[in-house]
Amino acid sequence: MQTFELNTTISNLRSLRETDLSAYDAVYLGNIYCRTFQENFLERLDDLREGIAHVKDRGLRAYVATYAAPRNDALPKVQKVLETAARAGADAIEVHNMGVLLMVHEQFPSLPVHVGGFANVYTDAGAAVLKEHGAVRFTPNYEISLDEVKAIADSVSLPAEILVHGKMPLGVSDSCFLLEYESKWAEKCPTVCQEDLFLRQGDWAIRPVGKGVLSGKDVCMLEHLPALVGAGYTMFRIEAAYETPAYRFNLAKIYRAAIERATQGDDTVDELAWHTVRQHTAVGLCNGFYFGRTGGEYVGSQGEMAEVRWTARG
Amino acid sequence: MILVTEPYFRQQDNFEPLVPGDLHGNPARADWPTALTPCSQVASSIAPGERRATLLAPAGCLDAAAQAFAAGADAVYVGLKGWSRGGARHELDREQLRTCLALAHKLRKKVQLALNIIPKPGERKRLLGELGELAAWGLSAVIVNDAGVLRGIRQELADLAITASVGCGALNAQDVRFYQDLGASAVVLPGYLEPAEVATIKAKSTIAVELMLHMVEEFVQLGRCWMPSYLHFAAAERAAQTTRLGGSVKRGGVGSCFRICQQPWALVRDGVEVDNRVLPSRQISRLAELGEFLAAGVDVIKIQGRSLTADMVGAITGRYRSALEAWECGGAAALMPAGLPPMWTVQGR
Repeated sequence: MQTFELNTTISNLRSLRETDLSAYDAVYLGNIYCRTFQENFLERLDDLREGIAHVKDRGLRAYVATYAAPRNDALPKVQKVLETAARAGADAIEVHNMGVLLMVHEQFPSLPVHVGGFANVYTDAGAAVLKEHGAVRFTPNYEISLDEVKAIADSVSLPAEILVHGKMPLGVSDSCFLLEYESKWAEKCPTVCQEDLFLRQGDWAIRPVGKGVLSGKDVCMLEHLPALVGAGYTMFRIEAAYETPAYRFNLAKIYRAAIERATQGDDTVDELAWHTVRQHTAVGLCNGFYFGRTGGEYVGSQGEMAEVRWTARG
Repeated sequence: MILVTEPYFRQQDNFEPLVPGDLHGNPARADWPTALTPCSQVASSIAPGERRATLLAPAGCLDAAAQAFAAGADAVYVGLKGWSRGGARHELDREQLRTCLALAHKLRKKVQLALNIIPKPGERKRLLGELGELAAWGLSAVIVNDAGVLRGIRQELADLAITASVGCGALNAQDVRFYQDLGASAVVLPGYLEPAEVATIKAKSTIAVELMLHMVEEFVQLGRCWMPSYLHFAAAERAAQTTRLGGSVKRGGVGSCFRICQQPWALVRDGVEVDNRVLPSRQISRLAELGEFLAAGVDVIKIQGRSLTADMVGAITGRYRSALEAWECGGAAALMPAGLPPMWTVQGR
């Protein structure tokens, strides 16, 4: 009997159609960083309707993301997204912005709210406020440890969703510096942010996505899944808004298998799974802040993958 | 190799005028005055008793508070040692806070207290207890950067004014309504918003709107950046030899922002280095649009920078006071300052 959810993020209809979702239970639709991201679900309501139907037709839950940092001019579109999501039967709205949270709470109280990572849930006190505004789950701020996440979840009785694989969000911006390169490169907005881009400084790398910054390394909790399952976590995300359909599918297969094993008390990790992880890691692995350490570090058997490597591409 | 340094202020002796222009790099308009018109030469357009905007200056030390008041600040905001994101070098201890309040009250001015870290659950009770005592000293408001902290203070101290810090991330009218409903008395907005946005926000809310009109806009928004702790969480913890949480400045990891965004990065495209750069940031000093923001209903003009020297606080505050007075006297829509000190760059906040 399944007791967990594995979900991912997809920014537009084309990428949704190209992704094999068979290893997932749910999908977040929409790009939270940029209104001009190529064919963003959050700007194309017909696509959003179709995307929700596409996901639900496959027996999965469809969640609709919302912008991380909308200014006033984006709110009318957010309003239409919420109306569309409600009419199309979306299963939840992901909220990062307090104003959007208020909109959902006041106008669409029947829509469950998933609090996103940019909502800055650091403590039980913050989580409690959001729960009172309709939150039914939360993604903690990425820089708190699993011990802290557990304490919040237990204190507030609000389940936490855990990013188990993918590039971790590190910040959101009001402007896009990649536009500076439009005159130099063939790629322009709205596709330039999807290029293979990293910012490198010595042994460090971060992934710029125009109006946001992600970790260069991929968070990888594959070998720590038994501990996560043992601690009671049941909702897991593969962060893939800027990744390929192959990334989503191949990693979901190994994570689903590993979570299923973990729920049965089997903590082994298939060696072939590590091969897949390496194939889809551009510069290395990390654990984020889950163990109370520097976000770019890796704890576990794959320590060598914590080093930034520039040769592999996936 | 990443350089991990304490936030610092780059000292320069010369004050040179900036190239006249607006926020977007456009040249100065012909109708901008090149100098401020003395109040005595213009009939006041503000009737007695009519609302005037408050000028709120930073004070990282007592001398800065004194200079801010002398230069025309209506209020200053200070950090309390151990509880603010300004860093230990730019915070006041309890006795200094008491002295600052005494000075302010003597001058009929006000002091806001920045408590803009996120206390651990175990620390929260201690903070609320201490705040109850401090509030009785005559604070005009406390500044917080977390919804949970805000509500906790509101529940415990019903009469204390609370400001939702710029670190709360409010950007739109619904955000301000959220913090208003939660019990905030004011919300701080970043200075890169436009006057029309502020007017919309004012029309849809009843609490005070503070605008950080003089600030550094970094690439990543205030309160939504944990790049430094992704690279050096341990360094952040070492810097925080207190009961604070480690991690980002937002969280309270004092000293943990080592300006990683302002150090050079190689931009690698398809595995090939194509550029070497820092992430974009800019100094926002929107004196030229002060009139438009005031007309939009801004209640408080806020100046960023508790790390500024006292002299700089005085100079910048004086500039804004002059502009406010000129607008109040003549209702001028745009005022071009004769010059702003260029040394207050991204290092100086």
